[in-house]
Amino acid sequence: MRTPLTGALAAGLLVAGAVCVPSLRAQAPAPPPKSTLKTVPRTPWGDPDLQGIWSSDEEAGVPFERPMGQTKAKVDGMELEVLLEEREHQRVDTTAAIFGLTGGGPPHWYENWGRKSARTSIVVDPADGRVPPLTADAQKRQARRTNPMGSFGDGPFERPEDFSLYDRCITRGLPAVMFPAIYNNNTRIVQAPGYVALTHEMIHETRVIPLDGRPFSSGHLREYLGDARGSWDGDTLVIETRNFSDRTNYRGAGAHLQLMERFRRSHRGLRYEVTISDPHTFTRPWTAALNLTPGRGLFEYACHEGNYAMRNMLSAARAAETGKGAR
Amino acid sequence: MRIRFTGAIVALAGAAVVTLAVMPIAGQAPQGGRAGGRGAGAPAAPAAPAAQAARPAVARPARIAGHPNMNGIWQAMGSAYWNLEDHSASATQFWQLGAIGAIPAGQSVIVDPANGVIPYTPAALKQRDANRAGWPKSDPEAKCYMAGIPRSNYMPYPFQIVQGQKDILFVYEYASSNRIVHMSNHTEAPVDSWMGWSNGKWDGDTLAITVNGFNDSTWFDRSGNHHSESLTVEERYTMQGDNVLIYEATMTDPKTFTRPWKIRMPLYRRLEPNVQLLEFKCVEFSEELLYGDLKKK
Repeated sequence: MRTPLTGALAAGLLVAGAVCVPSLRAQAPAPPPKSTLKTVPRTPWGDPDLQGIWSSDEEAGVPFERPMGQTKAKVDGMELEVLLEEREHQRVDTTAAIFGLTGGGPPHWYENWGRKSARTSIVVDPADGRVPPLTADAQKRQARRTNPMGSFGDGPFERPEDFSLYDRCITRGLPAVMFPAIYNNNTRIVQAPGYVALTHEMIHETRVIPLDGRPFSSGHLREYLGDARGSWDGDTLVIETRNFSDRTNYRGAGAHLQLMERFRRSHRGLRYEVTISDPHTFTRPWTAALNLTPGRGLFEYACHEGNYAMRNMLSAARAAETGKGAR
Repeated sequence: MRIRFTGAIVALAGAAVVTLAVMPIAGQAPQGGRAGGRGAGAPAAPAAPAAQAARPAVARPARIAGHPNMNGIWQAMGSAYWNLEDHSASATQFWQLGAIGAIPAGQSVIVDPANGVIPYTPAALKQRDANRAGWPKSDPEAKCYMAGIPRSNYMPYPFQIVQGQKDILFVYEYASSNRIVHMSNHTEAPVDSWMGWSNGKWDGDTLAITVNGFNDSTWFDRSGNHHSESLTVEERYTMQGDNVLIYEATMTDPKTFTRPWKIRMPLYRRLEPNVQLLEFKCVEFSEELLYGDLKKK
């Protein structure tokens, strides 16, 4: 049900969230996190029970990559107060600025942003909280891309394919769908014997993941959200995903992208970590993490059905070419 | 302060550049590797990932938390997705497809009223005919819009029931649509939606779901059969053996129909080894229809 403007803003903030945030764990063996529960609830068939609605709102506003000059992964005390105040100022002012420019919606659209996190980046490995450099080959590929910003770019907007997959309401992609966007930052987990399903409210996608040890599908079958297999590592749900479509692009990674996601109960909700690998794109694997907290609800997100933005933007582009009014 | 905030906005925009990278990567070959991504003709079965190698297949219990286990991937047969009512085979306008483009015959799945015909009000019947005359562009399925209930259950795509001990999830291959069935804490629909608002309960061994809160924009089939936002659907799912789910749906909508009416059909379990829901993200297939007139000539 988004309007063009809010869609654009959503994409922008998604990006912002994706780019400016922090996190914890790396490839190196880490000590058991303090938040791990001694006992976790179990389903009637004996699996750890992760079911519920989980929100990443609390991590909204945390930079994806740790800002230069910040040396701590986490801050506290007065330093935290100052940090949260700065983030709140940025949020309010950014919202107002975008609202003024393009119609980003009223401030209450952002009311669920928790802004409580003391973390200084969503990236947790490498230890500096920053995404490793792209390979030389990936840098060349990225430089060749046309209109990589979709509706945020300068065009040309000659056909639907000139917009992003998010603009077109096809997908936010993985792992982007996990990271906080403007709103609707909810994931519902439902479990059954042999399966776990994750429904992402933005933009109404569900991943149904088999836990029965079956092999991956052939590499000839490629999907926007890839092919996923799950397993339990103790009380942690592990989801491995590969066979992505080459039409996806996560920070330069496409068909070669592989993800290893981990979900486990923590005292306040779920701890989520994703390790992102693609030797064709990144100079080393890296890991991002989120603390998910109980969400208040999850509703149908009819993105494509309400996508007036595509017609309006294409119409405006045609009008600009002819000098006549928009249709 | 203004300068600082502007900086933040610039940073946001920069972030957008970096992250909104969703365009195809040219020239990347499919990936080889541990499990998937074999080259054409590679004969070996892919290896399971190490974390799963030792895990046995999960048995399907007959009951979950005391109720029938309806987990599985299900699909209707027949041609109700073309037309719920009796219909002879017929041509479409897509003559280029030859026999592929024709509509197969089908028997009515309407069990009440007994004549197998939807009991429209006169005005609603006119609207049905107008819908039919405008097909396919008038059909929400052609636009890749969420199909609503009951239509989603008998489209020519599979769907999966994910049933644990709590709320039950229906996941549809078509358009990545889905719906949660609230098995406790029943509430009214907060606002109208495409897939409606589902409150379920167990009536013996039958899963009974009341669905309402629909908008007026979904259809029942490709023949223009339609409803208003006042529609309520009473669904009943009953196992018949291990691999058949008897599906019944009663439609009540006084703005459109002179009386409630009911469909019944079997849904069949997909039994192929390793069968799984795949993506049918049909937005890209609808864009020429929806936006083609606005492309640069």
